[in-house]
Amino acid sequence: MTVWQKLRPYGMVAPAIVIFSMFFIYPIFYMIYLSMFDWNFVSPTKTFVGLQNFRDLLAEPDFLKVLSNTTVYTALTVSLTTGLALLLALWLNRKSLFHGFVQGAVFSPHIISLVSISLLWSWLMDPEYGLLNWVIGLAGFDPLQWLSHPSTALVSLVLVAVWKGLGYNALVFIAGLQSIPAEIYEAAELDRSKPWTTFMKLTLPMLSPTIFFLVIINLIGSFQVFETIAIMTQGGPVNSTNTLVYYIYEYGFRYFKIGYASAAGVILLFIVGVLTIVYFKLLSRRVHYR
Amino acid sequence: MFKRLTAFAHAVIILTLLAACGTNGAGGAGNGAAAGSADSSGNSGSADKITIKYWYAFGDKIEEAKLHMVNEFNESQDKIEVIAEHQGGYDDLHAKVQAAFAAGNAPAVTDLEIASTGVFARSGMLEELTSFAERDKDELKLDDFNPGLMGNAYVDGKLFGLPFMRSTPILYKNVTMLKDAGLDPAGPKSWEELEEYSRVLKEKGKLGMTVPVDIWFYEALVAQSGGQMLSEDGKTAMFNSAAGAAPVEFWKRLASEGLIKMPVGDEAGATADKDWANQLSAFKFASTAGVTASLEIAKGNGFELETSFMPANESYGVPTGGCQLVMTSKSTAEEKEAAWTFIKWMTSKENTIYQHKHVGYLPTRMSAVESDELKQHFEQYPQFKVAVDQLEYARPRPMENAYPEIAKIIKEAIEKAILDPGTSPQDALNGAAEKANKLLSK
Repeated sequence: MTVWQKLRPYGMVAPAIVIFSMFFIYPIFYMIYLSMFDWNFVSPTKTFVGLQNFRDLLAEPDFLKVLSNTTVYTALTVSLTTGLALLLALWLNRKSLFHGFVQGAVFSPHIISLVSISLLWSWLMDPEYGLLNWVIGLAGFDPLQWLSHPSTALVSLVLVAVWKGLGYNALVFIAGLQSIPAEIYEAAELDRSKPWTTFMKLTLPMLSPTIFFLVIINLIGSFQVFETIAIMTQGGPVNSTNTLVYYIYEYGFRYFKIGYASAAGVILLFIVGVLTIVYFKLLSRRVHYR
Repeated sequence: MFKRLTAFAHAVIILTLLAACGTNGAGGAGNGAAAGSADSSGNSGSADKITIKYWYAFGDKIEEAKLHMVNEFNESQDKIEVIAEHQGGYDDLHAKVQAAFAAGNAPAVTDLEIASTGVFARSGMLEELTSFAERDKDELKLDDFNPGLMGNAYVDGKLFGLPFMRSTPILYKNVTMLKDAGLDPAGPKSWEELEEYSRVLKEKGKLGMTVPVDIWFYEALVAQSGGQMLSEDGKTAMFNSAAGAAPVEFWKRLASEGLIKMPVGDEAGATADKDWANQLSAFKFASTAGVTASLEIAKGNGFELETSFMPANESYGVPTGGCQLVMTSKSTAEEKEAAWTFIKWMTSKENTIYQHKHVGYLPTRMSAVESDELKQHFEQYPQFKVAVDQLEYARPRPMENAYPEIAKIIKEAIEKAILDPGTSPQDALNGAAEKANKLLSK
């Protein structure tokens, strides 16, 4: 084998490796490095503080609130999006003009920029002048405060996330459903399997790779929610919608505490990393691949 | 059907990616073209034309005024070309300036919200202007700026900015509504009167006022109660004193009785404006920067607008606000000279008169206030004069490095005290003060 033949594969992957290292690997290590300093991004001196930033973070009640907000938001968004999308997909998985239209309509939020969506929902959810409260009023209920009260603000953001993610999730589910061979269903029918049993014993296991995929991407996506919060609530009222990524942004770019923000970033990296690994280890065994 | 949809989805994804690349490409080309044209016009004019960037905040009337002045500047001479770039609100602007500075790409001149002057100056991002001002003192006339506006121009005794679009909060009144309710349109001059007025208005099915929980208004009410936000040395929180708790107690009591409305959240400020514009509430607190726009609203909705001082508790009192023009520290010497020329031009007597009349921000120079042009203007539109007179009671905003963070802590404490009946204002502020002291002692 010539030298060229040995080196060629490395040469081929080099561009990808370089880009990946520059934009993903290097920032991670730089963030870990920064998390041990007290620095404002611009002053010439960085002060080494060791693990002080982490100690401050974990002793800060606001940060613990931020962690719990993020967890609640993620749990609600992932379960609702995936659950509703599955129901929707089961209903839409047939051929008719109407179902095709509904499918397209539900998918459309996916292609709209999240910034536009946030602005739109801010208007819809305006407690005084919003369309949602008008509809609720027509139905004879008391108006809701939506984003303006700590008890409803986080759930309102979940609503927006579910609305935005539903179409894409349903689309992937439909693809999953259609890839299940018809023969298996025919066999089940011959065995006089009840619809519920067919769903539990056949459809769900066959869909498990799809479910696995959707849950993991929704999970990671929800943990990193930023745009809706930056535009719709800025973490308020009373910190009720502040989540990890917005918190990091606030401390990094608003209060100029890049070390503290990096420490929060390291914690985010750690949580998402652990979640992903645990999820792969625990659940991948139960996923049915053909 | 599905296959077609997947194809559609793929097409969408590819289009999105292409569009993203397209934007970048176009942006790059646009910049190139702008730079190119600047160069070519530089060659046609004088050989050593220099181009500097100026970043500014806000749109609408404010943007119109800023762009108008920049254009006039560019046309008035052929040595310097200023490229003005819009960067969103103050917070966005600050974050972008900081990031650009770290990347070595900062604009030569930028707007800077006054309370952030401290943190920007102390971290070395700003060029000290003392020697420039000393050199050009005859032309600049530093004494001519309203002394009430200079408090935030100095950091630790050094000059870092010149007052540009400066403001104070004032009280906007729907006089038509007051007259209909049989109230004297000259008031309310004190907190008690504000409460009485609101009671009468509530009987008519209206609201006295819609007030967002806003640190700037809170600073005003603390000043009116004779208090301080922070101690003189900036090491201790003072807002949990009796004078600091009084505004929150006042707000909470009035809000719980339904006399005023206190929306919270990101849209709160917009809600207050809308309630006032739709004649749901008779008063609003707002920056003097909104006078022109509010006059247009009042005219459009058919009511009479007057402005007055914010009502007094112990005394009148307001913080100043708005932005000054500052120079970043990493530019070349020529760029700094160009930036200084531009800053002087933007803060001149003529331009402060222009921006005052166009937007409503304060005329920053005494010679402008005393000019015939503005005297005439005040006679015609007394709504503009209030903020100028109110400056007598104005004070600078705190400029400690930690203040932006403390402001958020205070805001949260106030929101909590107002939303939660079980939380007393004093307790909420004590909690906030404890956090603030920890930050200030660092």
